Amino acid sequence: MKHALQIFGFTILVSAFYWYVSLWVPQKRTEPPEDIAISSDLSTAEMVPIGEELVAGKGICLTCHTMGESGSGLRFPDLGNIGAIAGSRVEGQNDIEYLAESMYDPNAYVVEGFVAGMPNVARPPVALSDEEILTVIAYLQSLGGTPTVTMDTELEWQGQAPAAEAVPAAAAVGGDRDAETLFTAYLCNTCHSLDGAPGAGPTLQGLGERMSKAEIYESIVDPDATITEGFTAGVMSVMLTANGFHAQVSTQELQALVEYLTTL
Amino acid sequence: MNLVVLLAIAATLVAIQLVVTRWLKLNRLAWMALWWVALWAAFSYGINPPLPNSIIVLFMAIITIALIAYLSADSDELQAAQSAITRFMVDRQYAVPLLIALVALPLLVALRVYLETKAAPQPPSSSRTIHPPPPPSINFNGTTLNLTTANNPYRELEDSDPEAFAEHVANGRRIYFQNCFYCHGDNMEGSGMFAHGYDPLPANFNDATTIAMLQESYLFWRIAKGAPGLPSESTPWSSAMPAWEDFLTEQEIWDVIIFLYEFTGFEPRAQGMPH
Amino acid sequence: MIRRVKLLRALLTGLIILVACALGGELAWGAPQEASQDYRALPFMSSRVLMWAVAELHLMFAAFVLAVPIFALVLEYIGYKTGDKRFDQLAYDFTKLLSVSFSFTATLGALLTFGLLVFYPTLAQYLVKIFSWTFLPYVLLFFLEAIFLYSYYYGWGKFSPRVHLFLGLMLNIVGTAIMFIANAWLTFMNTPSGIDELGNLTNIWEAINNYIWMPINIHRLIANVAFGGAIGAAYGAYKFLGARTSEERAHYDWMGYVGIFVAICALLPLPFAGYWLGVEIYAYDQSLGITLMGGTFSWLFIVQAVLIGNLFLAANYYLWLSMARIPGAERFRRFIKYLLMVITVCFIVWATPHSLVATVEEARAMGGSHHPILNVLGVMSAKNTAVNLLILTTYVSFLLYRRANKEATVSWARTGNWVQFGIFAAVVIYVVFLGVYGYFVDAQTRIGLSRPQVLSVLFAMISVTVIDILLLKNAKSRGEIVWGKIPNRAQYALFFLAITFTWLMGLMGYVRAGMRQHWHVYGVMRDTSVDAFTPTLGYAGMVVSVIVIIFFLLIAVVFFLSGLSGQKNWVPKGKKQWFKRTAPSGTDTG
Repeated sequence: MKHALQIFGFTILVSAFYWYVSLWVPQKRTEPPEDIAISSDLSTAEMVPIGEELVAGKGICLTCHTMGESGSGLRFPDLGNIGAIAGSRVEGQNDIEYLAESMYDPNAYVVEGFVAGMPNVARPPVALSDEEILTVIAYLQSLGGTPTVTMDTELEWQGQAPAAEAVPAAAAVGGDRDAETLFTAYLCNTCHSLDGAPGAGPTLQGLGERMSKAEIYESIVDPDATITEGFTAGVMSVMLTANGFHAQVSTQELQALVEYLTTL
Repeated sequence: MNLVVLLAIAATLVAIQLVVTRWLKLNRLAWMALWWVALWAAFSYGINPPLPNSIIVLFMAIITIALIAYLSADSDELQAAQSAITRFMVDRQYAVPLLIALVALPLLVALRVYLETKAAPQPPSSSRTIHPPPPPSINFNGTTLNLTTANNPYRELEDSDPEAFAEHVANGRRIYFQNCFYCHGDNMEGSGMFAHGYDPLPANFNDATTIAMLQESYLFWRIAKGAPGLPSESTPWSSAMPAWEDFLTEQEIWDVIIFLYEFTGFEPRAQGMPH
Repeated sequence: MIRRVKLLRALLTGLIILVACALGGELAWGAPQEASQDYRALPFMSSRVLMWAVAELHLMFAAFVLAVPIFALVLEYIGYKTGDKRFDQLAYDFTKLLSVSFSFTATLGALLTFGLLVFYPTLAQYLVKIFSWTFLPYVLLFFLEAIFLYSYYYGWGKFSPRVHLFLGLMLNIVGTAIMFIANAWLTFMNTPSGIDELGNLTNIWEAINNYIWMPINIHRLIANVAFGGAIGAAYGAYKFLGARTSEERAHYDWMGYVGIFVAICALLPLPFAGYWLGVEIYAYDQSLGITLMGGTFSWLFIVQAVLIGNLFLAANYYLWLSMARIPGAERFRRFIKYLLMVITVCFIVWATPHSLVATVEEARAMGGSHHPILNVLGVMSAKNTAVNLLILTTYVSFLLYRRANKEATVSWARTGNWVQFGIFAAVVIYVVFLGVYGYFVDAQTRIGLSRPQVLSVLFAMISVTVIDILLLKNAKSRGEIVWGKIPNRAQYALFFLAITFTWLMGLMGYVRAGMRQHWHVYGVMRDTSVDAFTPTLGYAGMVVSVIVIIFFLLIAVVFFLSGLSGQKNWVPKGKKQWFKRTAPSGTDTG
């Protein structure tokens, strides 16, 4: 018993010594980065900056839309003045309803001169939550108008988004994912339809009959080399750089993707 | 290195070994104490520029552990040391030294406390994370730059088109001496004319542990974002490095990076690690 | 006896208090709380710290339970081959520690699972979704583990040796498989693979075989052996200190020696396994790697350097003290001084931080935040050289120990000694040369230099051992090793090693989990709880210290329970009658 106690004392002594060593080095507590917290009691004014960040970040809106001068997309309507005109676009819809419909059901009304093709942002891969969409509406209203939306605004489309399973990940680099995974992982389906439906990019229906393998390679690796008539150069390369496709995709994956596209 | 001091310490030890031990047999405990003091003196005064106090404490702690291990690795010597201490405590002939020790030890502790209280207030000592982790990507004037994969676009010219590469070097040189050399110095040693007003001092690029250990994309991040872009673990940090993205173009930053490596003769760390 | 009763009573009281606290906690959770359903909080302490402690304790016991069968099997095999009964007895002594530890491991594992479900329901749900079917083989293997473990333990001496060895082998295979499965779950949280952007599973094999799964498997397998050896040695030391007869002392002295020998042998390759792990982390995500080595956690590796330096120092110290039991070892005493010098220098080099803590004045005197001399010691070239020399020095200590009572009789003894010395000198010069050369080449080449360093050290160790075996063939003995003749200090060195190993394991466990920072699953699932911050190292050190102390308390219970089988039978008071010791299987003769 005496030895056991001595040994126990020794254990405490040695542990305390190592604790002291860990106290001797600089002490720094690292806080997690500030998150964009969307709580239900945000005021309308507070919603605007959050919406702005979502538009530039998670919402990837700027891939296709322009905001006056910022943003690189040219495919979809410019939103620089949307707050002023949203209310008068569609008969019988006020600006909040119009903006909400444009996000939840984007192809219900397509601005004259543009092609339908915007995806439902409440669904993956963009997957904004209902609250996030409210803040985006607030931001859009502020562009040329006065935001009126609140966190309590109820919209008919709310509640249809699938429960967010997890926050979007930085894509795991490399590997050999199959083509269909890649096709959605890098958001190809956002602009290109497989069934001939119009979109921000040309449809891929029957692609294998129209283009050779080499041409498909070229249009992925260097999208601007040849542009389908009626579409704008630059959009796809910006998009692919932004979502990390060029940096992350492996040779095998690229091959698999091209093989897949030739079968369409 | 302060060779004079180091030689003097070594000479003292040798002198004790050769001369003093003729009259006085020193046991291992005494030798340990001598070595301890000698090493402490060597760390404190024998190295130039002086070591920071925290490092001396660390070194002396390790040496103390090692000396205790040495003393007790041999049962006979440990026994001798123990009995020497016992004799010193109980033997009448050591009464005076014992008394002196009993008075001196608390006094020394008191002196230390006194010196510590008397010392002028110091700014808190801070550790600096010299190479904080870069963010995965940065936004450079509207375009996103992936720091994990970004390469210097002009680096390949070094092999493919040396003349064009030389132009980039020349351009980098021009940019360096227009913007950087005031702080980083004309020899890139971090000793430009303004350098001495700063804490921390500007980085020394000739040091093998600065740019030689980093990827070019890392330098791009540091130059583009400057001190304001440092992550939280690098604080407290009062670096005066400006965020050059407001003044230089992307090409100019890559050029000046090329010049840094050309001038110092270092190679940038290659992208990625062997997998 | 009365003392023991008191101890038991105290333990029971403690247990009741713990259960009461847990129940209290349960009641408190029942009350509606405003916290989100992703997390639940404990009223009296941070739930993260509780889970941290439970997970780490589970890990420590699991490591022990996985490691002991490995060397029990090896020892039993040696005993079977050589016919030396001592090895068989030692293997059984180690195995006796298993059954209680196994129950503790399972209990702690259940507590961990339960805690995850209660405190981190969303994370638990997500992991269950990803790894759906892998839980089934895990449970099945656990059953098999229990069957093999108890048949191995209770079947000692009951089967033919071959059958029993086979049981031990199966026990090891099943145990390793269990660890591999559990490792898949936790490495996934560090380097998630096989999922798409939304965190949905795309390929379960990729999720299992993520970047650091194999490195962690190997790293843990080796580290477990080192840890198990150290705990086994501590058991030997504990029994040694309490031993009454000289036979007991001899046996447990030997047990401690074998345990620590196993631990040190397993410790030597660990840095390289760790290096592989680091490379894979960098390969997965550079910012994760830099967070670990250069960012938030860089100081943790200075603490680690202190721990590992102490490990090497204490291991050598134990070997030096061990020489007391060997006649003729006095000849080598004078070398201790020089070995210690090398160890101290390497220790200092290894513990020198790259980023210094300096006051402003000191920094000015140094001419920047880097010191021109210390700077040289702070980088990888110097550290690699130091660790290689540490390994080599430890090997030399062992070599001296090995030859302590032997005198070579072969005709070429002198030449042989010189050749051995020459190999050492050449390798040391080569290792130091590569270390210095590392400062003059680019990073990619420098990383490559660690390989020839390691290979040359391995070469020295193998070639010198071969020469030594030939050299000491038919050597004249200066007397047998007197097991049990060793100062008590040496036993405390063993405890020191065991505690240091345990603390190191706690610290590395912390950094493995902590490097995810504010993520549950790195880059996929954010930690949004109040505990998402990364605590200071001092706080982490305190938690690790407390975990280590709890672990040793539990281990003390294991030691106590394992010792019960060797105790005298209970007799009613008044009948002072000494019974013969009872041995459970007839082999336990102490």
